[in-house]
Amino acid sequence: MLSVDDVTFSYVAGAPVLADIDFKVAAGEVVAIVGRNGAGKSTLLRLLNGLYQPETGAIIVAGNATSDTPVHVLARSIGTVFQAPEQQIFNPRVRDEIAFGPKQLGLTGAALEARVAEVLERIGLLAEADAHPLDIDQSARRMVAIGSVLAMQPPILLLDEAQRGLDKAAINRLSTIIETEKARGTAVILVCHDMDFVARQADRVLGLAGGRLAADLPTEAFFTDAELTASIGVEVPDVLALSAALGLPPALTPAAFAEAFMAREQA
Amino acid sequence: MALLEVHDLVFLFPRAKTAVLDGVSLSVERGERVAILAPNAGGKTTLARWLAGLLPDGVLKAERGHVSMDGKDWTEWHIAERSAAIQYVGQVPSQQMTGCAFTVFEEIAFGPCNLALPEAEIRARVDEAMTVCNLRHLVDRDPFTLSGGEQQRLSIAAALAMKPRVLVLDEPTSNLDPESRDDLLAQLELLPGELTIVVLEVALRPSLALADRFLLLDGGRIAADGSALDVLTHPRCIETLGMTAITEAAWRIQGAGGWESGRPLPLTLDDALQTLKVPDAVR
Repeated sequence: MLSVDDVTFSYVAGAPVLADIDFKVAAGEVVAIVGRNGAGKSTLLRLLNGLYQPETGAIIVAGNATSDTPVHVLARSIGTVFQAPEQQIFNPRVRDEIAFGPKQLGLTGAALEARVAEVLERIGLLAEADAHPLDIDQSARRMVAIGSVLAMQPPILLLDEAQRGLDKAAINRLSTIIETEKARGTAVILVCHDMDFVARQADRVLGLAGGRLAADLPTEAFFTDAELTASIGVEVPDVLALSAALGLPPALTPAAFAEAFMAREQA
Repeated sequence: MALLEVHDLVFLFPRAKTAVLDGVSLSVERGERVAILAPNAGGKTTLARWLAGLLPDGVLKAERGHVSMDGKDWTEWHIAERSAAIQYVGQVPSQQMTGCAFTVFEEIAFGPCNLALPEAEIRARVDEAMTVCNLRHLVDRDPFTLSGGEQQRLSIAAALAMKPRVLVLDEPTSNLDPESRDDLLAQLELLPGELTIVVLEVALRPSLALADRFLLLDGGRIAADGSALDVLTHPRCIETLGMTAITEAAWRIQGAGGWESGRPLPLTLDDALQTLKVPDAVR
């Protein structure tokens, strides 16, 4: 679905922020990109969606090379939710924001209305459909940005810190959206600082350090390599650290930890 | 007299049917580190703006109640006097940039320049703020080319350069990687003890490192006020904000009969290691 082949990128000539980046993401995979501040995570997202062009190497998005495909064409295959929802919202009503993308794809009438209604339901904003997106709270605005991308039904979804600032209900809603997209075969790429969220949602983790891809591993293998996580500068989920300290099998979630703990207690 | 005092504050946005703040009362003493936790749409940012004196403004006013600092209502403060006393750092750092600074240095110097301070004093303040927020290596960078985490540190540095007595920080570490967060917290600890910090958070885990007193804002009112354990295990906090992963793990074990019901639930990894008596050598 997505292929990144030996990509290098610099903002300033001779000082690459990303070098020799090489990975693939398959349909239905949830992949997290992690690393320190300034490691190049958001830059990598902007390369994937064609806003930046690689200096060397190639990025193929659903069969199209980003180097010779206009961004608006790529947007049909790869939808991006940026860190600050205000930067991508521009319509006067929530429903208009959701409808904007599918309208550009030629959807009209009942089909468009049905698409908008489905998305409003998924993001939990049916009651706010006629509100101005800047009159609703920050987390709801984030949901509008997510909804506006979901409405395009892209086969690849990029979420840049989409979990940030969300309360319990909103996090649960976002988790459901990611799980539904995965089940539908969408490739989901998360840029995320919240390692508990990564541990719960991601199948695989890509770790960026010093401008290079320092890790490309299944989530459990990534988090159980202490030297690697330390070199990339990410924290191990607390429950995983606790399971290691207690000599329990690695647990990435509270539920898995409790199960392992009780199994030993009852043994 | 408390440093900051919110008295029975009732506030509605224009055209809103319900009050976002519905009788909020709280006080903050000098040097306190307070975390106000609230679910989405719970009035967190609105309360932050009231606390920092950004409200009332020319248009938005309270239905009832008021907020004061040093016993003086915000309406009686001159803007320059207030800016030197209290600083607010919002959730979206890029929106807080002045837009007229070409470098990190200029961005941090903007506030002190507007206080018409002597040049040497401005340079000293910028220097100190860059140290606290680990920005020295970025001094000549354009603020808009920085990463999200670097911009967050820059917006905190710009606030610190005003040498305020109070910092109001809305989700201050949400963009930071663990090293940057720990480094910033350690540097904030080194600042003079009289600096009062009020953080507003939706995420539980980061708030634990930021404060020693916790409040829960729920339904426009303060629903809980106390220690981390009091507030993070309050039923409304659990219902709206969930639990830390460690608390949830212990709660699940409790549900399965593996954790005595009277035993306090741990909030952090350290709490859990201590409660479960894991030897230091293994930690």
